[in-house]
Amino acid sequence: MKTWMKVIAGFAVVGIIAAVLIFKFVVNKPHPDYEKMSPDYTMHAQDLYNAFKNKKDASSKLYNGKVVQIDGTLARVEAKDSLVIVVFSFTQGMFGDEGIRCTMIKKLSGEAKSLVPSGSVKIKGYCTGYNDTDVILEQCSVVY
Amino acid sequence: MRKFIFIAVLALLCSSGLLGQNFVTKNGNIRFYSEGKIEKIEAMNHQVNAAMNSQTGDFVFKVLMKSFQFEKALMQEHFNENYVESDKFPTATFLGKVANIKDVNFTKDGSYPATVEGKLTIHGVSHDVKATGTFEVKKDVVQGKAKFFVTLADYNINIPSAVVSNIAKAVEVTVDVTLEKFNK
Repeated sequence: MKTWMKVIAGFAVVGIIAAVLIFKFVVNKPHPDYEKMSPDYTMHAQDLYNAFKNKKDASSKLYNGKVVQIDGTLARVEAKDSLVIVVFSFTQGMFGDEGIRCTMIKKLSGEAKSLVPSGSVKIKGYCTGYNDTDVILEQCSVVY
Repeated sequence: MRKFIFIAVLALLCSSGLLGQNFVTKNGNIRFYSEGKIEKIEAMNHQVNAAMNSQTGDFVFKVLMKSFQFEKALMQEHFNENYVESDKFPTATFLGKVANIKDVNFTKDGSYPATVEGKLTIHGVSHDVKATGTFEVKKDVVQGKAKFFVTLADYNINIPSAVVSNIAKAVEVTVDVTLEKFNK
């Protein structure tokens, strides 16, 4: 095989390998494993709620898009279809209680359903913001 | 300003509860779907706040943009960082009315066609929208479903030329909310 052909073949192989790696690790990269991630912030659930309630814009800049771990007294666990939501309740608003709503990672839903209302619990999740009634955490897990 | 308008409408819903009945949910669902030339893109949001008054027909919903879940992590990242810029515009809201509220009998189980009109605000831009759908009444629960299309450019959502063929110019938005009677 002539040298120039070997060089072109070499570049082609490198190009194919690069394309496969880009496809696997960039285009098809997996979602973050929020259960294993360390929290960016750790605080009492009441403090997180108060922060958003009293200083919404500043709290949005601080906590939106971050992993937050909160501890507090569980109000209830809601289960609807395949969704399980752990609820911390702090005030009464126009349409019921207001606080923090934590959507559990699907594979951890069973575990969340066994949590006892009025008991203390630590939850970690990805903060998506405050919708003027509740602070919302997604991809949540119970922390032991 | 929009936050105050949203809260004012919520207060109006609360006070108009004296005349009608308020139905609410915090677990409403919104799905958007785009069929581009190369791929189909779908995202779901299961934490939609919605409220409706059965007398006035006032209907509102609010959704956090970062709560939309995509199958592909990279698409979710592009959606938040580049398209809807969710750090700058964290929520989308709809403030409107069920235009034919009188045609919906909330005291009798059944399926009722409905037309909802109002202002949809996404990415800091508001436009009038109209959607047709149904209200399924079953005792104290009303399931509302509607579908409409959103043209991304109308809301200043710019798709980079490199991926523009991946995303349809108008995406299909499906709203599915199970509203429960709110007894204060």
